[in-house]
Amino acid sequence: MMICRSKNRFCPALAAKTTILLSVVFFFALFAGDVAAQRRFSKNYPAGQNVKLQLLNRMGTVTVIGWNRAEINITADLEAPAAIIVPQNLSGTIVINLVRDNQGRNEVGSVNFTIRVPYTSMVDIETKIGNLSVSNIRSGLVRAHISSEGDITLTNIEANAVSAENTIGDILFDGEIMEGGNYRFSSTSGNINIRIPFNSSFRVVATAPSTRNISFGSCANQNMNYLSDGRRIVGKCGEGSATMNATNQRGTIKFISR
Amino acid sequence: MDNEIGADQASDVRMHLAFCTECAHVCEDLTSILDVCRSDSPAEIVPPNSQALWCRINNIIESEIKPVPVPVEESRGRFWRLSFVQLAGAVILIAVISSVVTVLAVRRYTQPPADDFTARSAATQTTFEKLLGRVGLTETPTQARLRQAKEREAAIDYWNARVQARRIQWDRTTREAFDRNLRVIEESVNDYTAILQQDPEDDLSGEMLDSVLNDKVNLLRDFSDL
Repeated sequence: MMICRSKNRFCPALAAKTTILLSVVFFFALFAGDVAAQRRFSKNYPAGQNVKLQLLNRMGTVTVIGWNRAEINITADLEAPAAIIVPQNLSGTIVINLVRDNQGRNEVGSVNFTIRVPYTSMVDIETKIGNLSVSNIRSGLVRAHISSEGDITLTNIEANAVSAENTIGDILFDGEIMEGGNYRFSSTSGNINIRIPFNSSFRVVATAPSTRNISFGSCANQNMNYLSDGRRIVGKCGEGSATMNATNQRGTIKFISR
Repeated sequence: MDNEIGADQASDVRMHLAFCTECAHVCEDLTSILDVCRSDSPAEIVPPNSQALWCRINNIIESEIKPVPVPVEESRGRFWRLSFVQLAGAVILIAVISSVVTVLAVRRYTQPPADDFTARSAATQTTFEKLLGRVGLTETPTQARLRQAKEREAAIDYWNARVQARRIQWDRTTREAFDRNLRVIEESVNDYTAILQQDPEDDLSGEMLDSVLNDKVNLLRDFSDL
């Protein structure tokens, strides 16, 4: 092993040692920083079949998944500066309101939720910025609202009332149209895709004023009326027992058969 | 009194009657009744002029019963004594009231609820509504749209002021996202405003303008509490 004795000469061995040492320090510092920046929240609630989840997030992704258990499992990854989360159980309704809980704080990091609920739960989720995803729900209500931008993905949904709204972002609904149900999809800029069984029965008003790009797929029939130069289509699929309203100011609306 | 009891018992009764005033009165009453019954001429118990007695009794009874107020019948001739001016006024009043009721009923019947799929437009107006609109009794869809737009502008100004006060505290990501989304909405507002300037009768654009202005209010309101 070579040893550098002179103080004025460049010593490669010493430089290598110093580099390795600095790298190790830098790695641990980075890792420690990550640990400090990312916190995790987890909580479980026993729940009946008719429980309702009501969530208002500030920023981040929210994923709600229905499962076959009589409990609600909430997990959240909190980015720094970590938000305060105080869920409440108000007579069968689990309420999480990050706007209220963090009122007056100037900077609050994103919170990414993953929530598992009984599949018969009513789901009402909202965020200011971020994606919303709901899957495997069979209940009376599924509502997903994004104040600004983010994608909404609703898959395997059987609900009587479904509402999805955003400003910028895509909306995908993949589920059943229930008899007498009410379905509302609204976006300013994005694509609305509605994937439903070919034998679905509903009355529809679809409006895409800018693109006039409305595709009914297998639902297209002689009961469809093209209004205002094709900017709006009003019609009926099957007996029309449910009602659907889809509006996309600057994007497309597409019906796809399941 | 009828000599039905023995001498000893009778003696006891008399002894009791000598001391008990109450029983003595009862005994006197019974004795007098029995005396009357034993008398030969029943005519003595019939009061003289019984018919007059009944009349008096009847009068007393009727005076005690509260007299039922008898509705006073208006003389039929009074209605016809109205002057011609009064009659004409009454006819005009009835006509005005029935017209107002009819207009309200027609409007209620023909106008769909606010949450109906199709909003009101010139195409969906009934002839009667168009007529009312032309004479100025009801507002036309264009007038309604302009009124709603003014109301929305006031709401936008209010929420915008609140957002401006809050946005200095937002982080960069929030500010950029808000601006981006507001820009998209304003592009739509400008598009529909331009279309409506060219064709004020374009009801769909009017409806969409109303919708995007509503979206703008909602965006401002949602971000005002961050």
